[in-house]
Amino acid sequence: MSTLFGALSIAVRSLYAQEGAIETTSNNISNVDTPGYSRETPILSEAPPLDLGQISIGNGVDFGGVQSIRDNILDLRIDQESQQQNQLTSYVNYMNQVQSLFNETQGSGLSDSINSFFNSFQQLADNPTDTPTRQAVISAGQDLASAFQQTGQQLTTIQQGADQEVGQTVQQINADTTQLADLNQQISCLVPNSEQADMLEDNQYQVLNNLSQLVDTAVTHTSNGSLTVTTTNGTALVAGGQSFALSTETNASTGFQDVFSQGSDVTSTFTGGQLAGLLEARDQSIPSVRTSLDNLAAGIVNAVNSQSLKGYDLNADKGVDFFQPVVQPSPGSNAGEAENMAVAITDPSQVAASSIAGPQGEGDNANALALANIQNEAVVSGQTATDFYSDLVSTVGNDVSTSTDEQESVGLVLTQLQNQQSNTSGVSLDEEAANLILYQRAYEAAAEVVSAINSLTNDVIQSI
Amino acid sequence: MGIRINPNPMADLLTGIGLDQQQANQAIQELSTGKKVNQPSDDPAAVAGLIVNNAQTSQVNAYLSNISTLQDSLQEADSNLNSVVTSLTQAISLGTEGANGTLNQTDRNALVQQVNGIQQQILDYANQSFEGNYLFAGTAVNTAPFVADPSSTSGVNYVGNSGVNSVEIGDGQTVPANLPGNQLFTASGSDVFQALTDLSSALSSGSNVPAAETEVQNAFNYISAQRSFYGSTLDRLNTASSFLNQETTQLAQEQNNLVGVDMATAASQLTQAETALNGAMAAGGKISQTSLLNYLT
Repeated sequence: MSTLFGALSIAVRSLYAQEGAIETTSNNISNVDTPGYSRETPILSEAPPLDLGQISIGNGVDFGGVQSIRDNILDLRIDQESQQQNQLTSYVNYMNQVQSLFNETQGSGLSDSINSFFNSFQQLADNPTDTPTRQAVISAGQDLASAFQQTGQQLTTIQQGADQEVGQTVQQINADTTQLADLNQQISCLVPNSEQADMLEDNQYQVLNNLSQLVDTAVTHTSNGSLTVTTTNGTALVAGGQSFALSTETNASTGFQDVFSQGSDVTSTFTGGQLAGLLEARDQSIPSVRTSLDNLAAGIVNAVNSQSLKGYDLNADKGVDFFQPVVQPSPGSNAGEAENMAVAITDPSQVAASSIAGPQGEGDNANALALANIQNEAVVSGQTATDFYSDLVSTVGNDVSTSTDEQESVGLVLTQLQNQQSNTSGVSLDEEAANLILYQRAYEAAAEVVSAINSLTNDVIQSI
Repeated sequence: MGIRINPNPMADLLTGIGLDQQQANQAIQELSTGKKVNQPSDDPAAVAGLIVNNAQTSQVNAYLSNISTLQDSLQEADSNLNSVVTSLTQAISLGTEGANGTLNQTDRNALVQQVNGIQQQILDYANQSFEGNYLFAGTAVNTAPFVADPSSTSGVNYVGNSGVNSVEIGDGQTVPANLPGNQLFTASGSDVFQALTDLSSALSSGSNVPAAETEVQNAFNYISAQRSFYGSTLDRLNTASSFLNQETTQLAQEQNNLVGVDMATAASQLTQAETALNGAMAAGGKISQTSLLNYLT
């Protein structure tokens, strides 16, 4: 049997429900610009009907709280693309610095020094006994050596920059994992899908996205709402309320920081995020450029020295090493040669221009010509210095160009995904305005019902 | 409810603006530097080509500079030899004059003086230097190659060497840069100083003057023939030089093809990028101007 008071309680319930809905709308509107916020909808459901034997009577509406609208799969994809994009961005950032050392189109780079050096021998061949011309050969050699030295040193500086950023990135990763562990802790104490839990989940997502920009992540959702995060190669980062900090330690042989997790070296295990980009530039690409540079320097030094030893100088003495001879730190390795390159002789008369021994041989120019012609001879990896150097520069250029293209396309994919995420989770003011009207009208109608029941009960009371 | 549309297109718009801006910057850089390749990653193959091109250009310039230096010294040597030839012609006339039987000892002594003067002159020519290097000393360019020596039969000793230097005038192409003095002036059978000494003593004694004159004539013929080295080498240098100049032009052209910008293309790219940028920015201004909230009262 239904009663007037029954109807009143249904109307009051409706008022509560519409209030809840209006509150949700208001919250959405307030957070329209909040990063990481996903819109919420009120959960309104029909209340269980009152069962009166043969008939059942509707019992109004239930406000079941609010629900965050987010697409976890999409979030995951965004995190993955963010990892890749940040990896490429930091990699390109450092490799751009490397390629600026070889920017031949703007006149920086080694080719001018290499060309001038060999040209100086051509001039020496024109005038083999002339002291200023001999001095010019030594100066050109010194210029070449200092060009190699500077390029080598600048590569080191760039590497050190990347190394420094590795340290900073590790600190940021630790800050993020600590925060995630805290959020995990809080979330596991809350009722799932409660408004508070939803809010913390938004924060979780936001921190996880930050973390993904720094390092590659693999995420597992647990039933209590907390996240377990490792790197894709299994280094633990966060488990429940506990975070596992990464640490750095300077490697004595490289002078750069290795990354450790719980005592083991994980430097080479990262596959994404800023950290992986930095490590790739620091540990692979820049060292490979440096090796080529060292080999080129060693090739020139060895060829020029061995030709110098075959000749005779202005004092009819046997030729000596023009450059400081290459010192190999280990067999087959020319490591450090670029930075150590230096001209060995200071006395212009010691330049071995002549190939004729004995008195009156000093005016001969055959050895000077042979030295000039080293420019066209294979001196490193079966290539001329020019060809080897041009290969080196185009390799660096290709690397930057490929990575930049990739970075752009990943960026477009990421924008697309973020759009999609916004389609799902973004707050639309139009939609909220429409909802507001809806809830407002419903509230007004329910209030009207209350007022009608009030008048009816009044009638009843007065008729008594 | 229909398909939900991204309510906040700002991020998308910013990406678009970023890309347009990047294209505009690229075009501006190309126009301002005059190069379409401004860093290795713009076109790695072109930069590799540029490096090889630079090396070739530098070598061609070295060859051109070699040629120019050599031309100067060869011309100087040739002009000295021209003077030697002129002096020898005078000596021959003196011989003809001395062969005339009517001359007395005094007359002939006067001729001897003149012949000795010519010998001294030719010695000076043979010891000519150019920019600090003796022209006819072989490769012993730092010492005067001919020394007057009364104890020697010809009166002059050669102290240079027979060395010949080569100069590179193209990849793998060399030309001899000098003729050693012993090949020019003291070749056996055509020794200039011996011939003049013989003429001088013949005139002094009054006997064998025609034979001595013939000897001078032979030396004259020999030196004239040797001079063709200078003519032909200078010809080769001229040919090589005009070839290298052409190559310089070609290399410059190639360099321009590799990294130079096509101004018209770059300018139209700039216009396109700027149009797109303006469009994107105008669209940005329209976003959020309309909202349902505007219509609720």
